[in-house]
Amino acid sequence: MSGEPTPAPGRRASIEVRDLVVRYGSVLAVRGVGFTVAPGEHLTLLGPSGCGKTTTLRAIAGLEQPESGEIRIDGQPVFSSSPRVRVPAERRGLSMVFQSYAIWPHMTVFDNVAYGLRVRKRPEAEVAERVRGALGLVQMSELAARRASRLSGGQQQRVALARAFVFSPAVLLFDEPLSNLDAKLRAEMRLEIKELQRTLGITSLYVTHDLEEALAISDRIVVMRDGMIEQTGTPTEIYDRPRNRFVADFVGSANLIEGRLRPDLAAEGLVAIETASGAIVRGVAHDRRPGARPCFSVRTVHVRLSRQRPPAQVNVWPAIVRRRVFQGDFTQYHADWEGRTLVVRGLAAEGIEEGSTAYVAVEPRHCVLLEE
Amino acid sequence: MDSPARARRFRPGPRLVSLLVGGAAAILVLYPIAFLLQASLSVGDPQARPPEAYGLDNYADLPRYGHIFANTLVVAVAASVMAVALGFVMSWILSRTNVPGRGGLEQLMALPYYVTPLMGALAWSLLASPSGGFLNQLWRAAGGESYLIDITTPYGIAWVMALFEGSVAFVMIGAVMKSMDPALEEASQVLGAGRARTMLRVTLPLVLPGVLGAAIFVFAEMLGSFSAALVLGLPSRFYVVTTAMYQLVSQYPPQFPRAAAMGVSLFAVMFAMVWIYRRVVRAGSYATITGKAFRARAMDVGGLRWPLLAVCVVYLGIAVVLPVLTLLYASVQRLATVFPRADNFTLANYATALSLDAVRSALGDSLILGLGTATVGVLLMGFLAWMIYRSRLPGVGAIEYVLMFPQAVPRLVFAFGMLWAWLIFPIPIYGTLWLLLIAYLTVFLPLGLRTIAGVMLQIDRSLEESAQMCGAPWGYRLRTVTMPLLRPGLIAAWLLLFIASVRELGASILLTGPKAKVITPTIVESWFSTSTELTAALALLQTLAVSVALALLFTVARRATQPAGE
Repeated sequence: MSGEPTPAPGRRASIEVRDLVVRYGSVLAVRGVGFTVAPGEHLTLLGPSGCGKTTTLRAIAGLEQPESGEIRIDGQPVFSSSPRVRVPAERRGLSMVFQSYAIWPHMTVFDNVAYGLRVRKRPEAEVAERVRGALGLVQMSELAARRASRLSGGQQQRVALARAFVFSPAVLLFDEPLSNLDAKLRAEMRLEIKELQRTLGITSLYVTHDLEEALAISDRIVVMRDGMIEQTGTPTEIYDRPRNRFVADFVGSANLIEGRLRPDLAAEGLVAIETASGAIVRGVAHDRRPGARPCFSVRTVHVRLSRQRPPAQVNVWPAIVRRRVFQGDFTQYHADWEGRTLVVRGLAAEGIEEGSTAYVAVEPRHCVLLEE
Repeated sequence: MDSPARARRFRPGPRLVSLLVGGAAAILVLYPIAFLLQASLSVGDPQARPPEAYGLDNYADLPRYGHIFANTLVVAVAASVMAVALGFVMSWILSRTNVPGRGGLEQLMALPYYVTPLMGALAWSLLASPSGGFLNQLWRAAGGESYLIDITTPYGIAWVMALFEGSVAFVMIGAVMKSMDPALEEASQVLGAGRARTMLRVTLPLVLPGVLGAAIFVFAEMLGSFSAALVLGLPSRFYVVTTAMYQLVSQYPPQFPRAAAMGVSLFAVMFAMVWIYRRVVRAGSYATITGKAFRARAMDVGGLRWPLLAVCVVYLGIAVVLPVLTLLYASVQRLATVFPRADNFTLANYATALSLDAVRSALGDSLILGLGTATVGVLLMGFLAWMIYRSRLPGVGAIEYVLMFPQAVPRLVFAFGMLWAWLIFPIPIYGTLWLLLIAYLTVFLPLGLRTIAGVMLQIDRSLEESAQMCGAPWGYRLRTVTMPLLRPGLIAAWLLLFIASVRELGASILLTGPKAKVITPTIVESWFSTSTELTAALALLQTLAVSVALALLFTVARRATQPAGE
């Protein structure tokens, strides 16, 4: 075999990244990132723009030259700083969906999708059959003969998907594929991509800054900031048990409650924090050690706001509603509590007037102790 | 997966090919420049080669030619001021006001560039030379004394150059005006600033770096310009640096080292100019270049539309229609005069022009050279553009810098370096068309590169990357994705290179030999040694030949690219 880039069709490969460092001039875009994607797993790199997630993805793809570290695909090193290994992108057996779709405007939809197969010199009959199959999966069969320059954004996205998986790559990389679509189409495509991932079972690495997207389609999520990993875990772990302030804040909206630890009040597996104003808040530690400034993260949706005092014994306090913002599916309240503002999201129906006194309550299991 | 040990046939990678092609192109540029420097330092017998002794005497001698440098400065400054003023006014009118027919006029603004300074100079000499100029004949017929306009003065020369270069300034300033987000101006107006205040405090500061950049670029070009000063200045012994160099080289005995020293000083000044230009453009690119194409907001200028339209039409008339008509009129007369007389009209000039073997072979050679330069050039420069702007190989920045050198070297100066460089080259290409081909490819590197790069930078990098992710090796990617996407840029570059080579004068005039004559130097020769009328006919024949060749090529290309039955 001369330049045959793919492993056997349908082969699921693993990805291992170790101590990856990527530098742009004097800027360290990725500083010592490491993670593993198991064969067939769907992993997402999540983080704000500039966190190094796309750079990491492009380094795995081979489009970016890392400074040091090691990248293995299916156990074989494709990049390594020592011993020196640099496999060019086209021979890594990967495939990728680009943020800009990167559909070639001078070709038809069919030719776009067929590209990877023709590169691999598959017989034209097989090419036709597999392209038809791929276009069917993304519901683009009717448009096969159309010039790619005359497609809508959503259609281009589907073609980009078909082109990426048609030649049965071992790994599929997604670089913010939905960020150029409008909100409604994005929600739709998110489901379709998830569906496709499950059907094909290809190992996939997905990059996004959109939390919902990450939660919806991933088996596991890696949260990144400033070129480093903040937390790795399943979507529920990331959402329910953020490790630190950054993750708590980035992954959905959360109230951060700081104070000093009161070990004397710890009981029944709960830890207690006393805020500056003296309120005692009980929460869960999940075996974590608190940092210098102990802090709970409380999701805004987990705080209950009611006119009557709820029956619970702990974590119930009076508060004054300052602002009520109607946001459609929910209503957001800003309540004065213990000298600070607590953000509460409630269903739109239960209306509590601005300026009125109410009770806020949080179950201790929703107060999660942060590490730093 | 046995990838590292995979047995593969040897294929040259992008690195190796880039190294070879980039290196070769860099040598093409640097080799003549090295010889130019060497010649300028030669202090022994001016004819000796390699030089007998080295020293700075030639440079120390330069103050003797102070008046020539002063002439150059006067002409360049005057021409730049006029050209930038023209360009600014035209681009403001056409991109910022609602004059009727904006779109069409904008296309026509490229025409003065195609008229070329040589044709402009020939025509304006016919129009406004002090003794026989058509305008001065009219002036005397109307009762005026001696002459109205003298085009052979420094300002006359500057005027001819400015008419041509105004079109370049227009393109450069127009690009800046169009890339400015109209929201910036609207914001100022919404905040309560009047139209004048907005113009002064927002529009002007935003456009200024672009205008300044254009001015510096135009000034550098004017310093090195040759043909207008040659045609209009030589008869009255008015020299600028380029024409003085030409004189020093073509006189007997030739003064190579002194000419070389002059060329090097000019090169140094122009190099500094181009450097400053790049700095200005880079520093001033704030706010205007957002990578987004805006629909430039057209200001409603009311009744002023018609006078503004008239300004554009008059410019085109003076820069294009008048020169061409003048040449046409002169070419069909026995003795060029403004007053038509039936017995003075003749087609003999054309008959003579076409019957001269020298002209026929020069025209043929020029067209062949044009084809060769354009075809080889597009392949070479297309690859170089890809290498510089796309491959991200180390060291391409330095290569880009070197390849842009010819922009800062007057073509005559460059040709001078080549004259020496290739004379001693072991393969005897001196005095053949091959030397001219090499010269054209070298001096037009910046032109071709910039044209192709303009299109290449608009192609999203991910289009190539996605081909790579589909597993395509680099050659396959270039062939199936990059080249097809670049097609408009490549075609544009091909046409520009073809036109530029067929009409090239500065480099050709020094490099033509008895066995390799091209058309433009032949026209100049005819201007100085035969009749004006015959020269006019030649100039028009050259334009006609270029147009016919282009029309033919277009037809053929369209046939070839349109599959039958579709």
